[in-house]
Amino acid sequence: MNRATFMAQLRTGLAGLHSSDVNDILADYESHFADGKAHGRTEDEVADALGDPARLAREMRAEVGFKRWEQDRSAGNLFGVILALLGLATLDLMLLLPILFAGVVVIFALSVCCLAFIVAGSFLLFNLLPGDWHHPLTNGSLQALCGAGLLSGGIGGGSLLLIIVDALARMLIQYARLHFRLFNTAAASV
Amino acid sequence: MTESLQIQLKKGVLEMCVLALLSKGDNYAYDIASRMADAVGMGEGTIYPLMRRMQNDGLVTTYLQESGSGPPRKYYKITKEGAQTLKNQITDWLAFEAAVHKILGELT
Repeated sequence: MNRATFMAQLRTGLAGLHSSDVNDILADYESHFADGKAHGRTEDEVADALGDPARLAREMRAEVGFKRWEQDRSAGNLFGVILALLGLATLDLMLLLPILFAGVVVIFALSVCCLAFIVAGSFLLFNLLPGDWHHPLTNGSLQALCGAGLLSGGIGGGSLLLIIVDALARMLIQYARLHFRLFNTAAASV
Repeated sequence: MTESLQIQLKKGVLEMCVLALLSKGDNYAYDIASRMADAVGMGEGTIYPLMRRMQNDGLVTTYLQESGSGPPRKYYKITKEGAQTLKNQITDWLAFEAAVHKILGELT
């Protein structure tokens, strides 16, 4: 494999990451080839010593995705972490896949619950505003209490969920990092 | 030694070895990678995910320095936190090594 092929495969594996991250990573490997050349090695030798670009890209995705998540806990970045973990999962974490899948489903269900609480609570509160519409509860102050309760429950539950997701993502990343295949092959490692 | 045990052992000490190298002076990835590849047979490409991870963990920082030829080179520098981590890992490693040695000594 020559430099161009290696870089192309690496770039393919990194598709979807922020372009600044991709350029950063590609520059690292480009300079590795340049250094190798300066040391009198051929492109093929350097590419062989570097290892499988697709696998390296998956490991990079996990690192970059996790860092983005740490900096900004947005849904998009969480998606990135999950994608990266799934990428690693196909390599080393087969056992984790069902657990990961179940976890994602449970978290999704819980977040829908929290959202429903917030919507229901808001509805009960807005329903109290002056106007000629049907009130679900006959007692106005009781309805206000219920609405406020549901609303705060939804928001509190949502925040708690976010904390739990964060902790789980950290644990998974920690686990995934330990299981990176850091060596080309067992034979090459001697 | 079985292959898998060897790989697991090396994985565990990789970070410590890189920190130890950097504690002797700032260095760039190509040089770290070739030293590690020679010493423990690490795949050279692995150095980049590893360095990124150590950077994320605050163990190393990077800076660019002009090189004689070509574009500026990225150097890695060990942080205070990295030095402390290295110290702790060396303590752990020596204690572990001594314990294993003792058990192996009883066998032979």
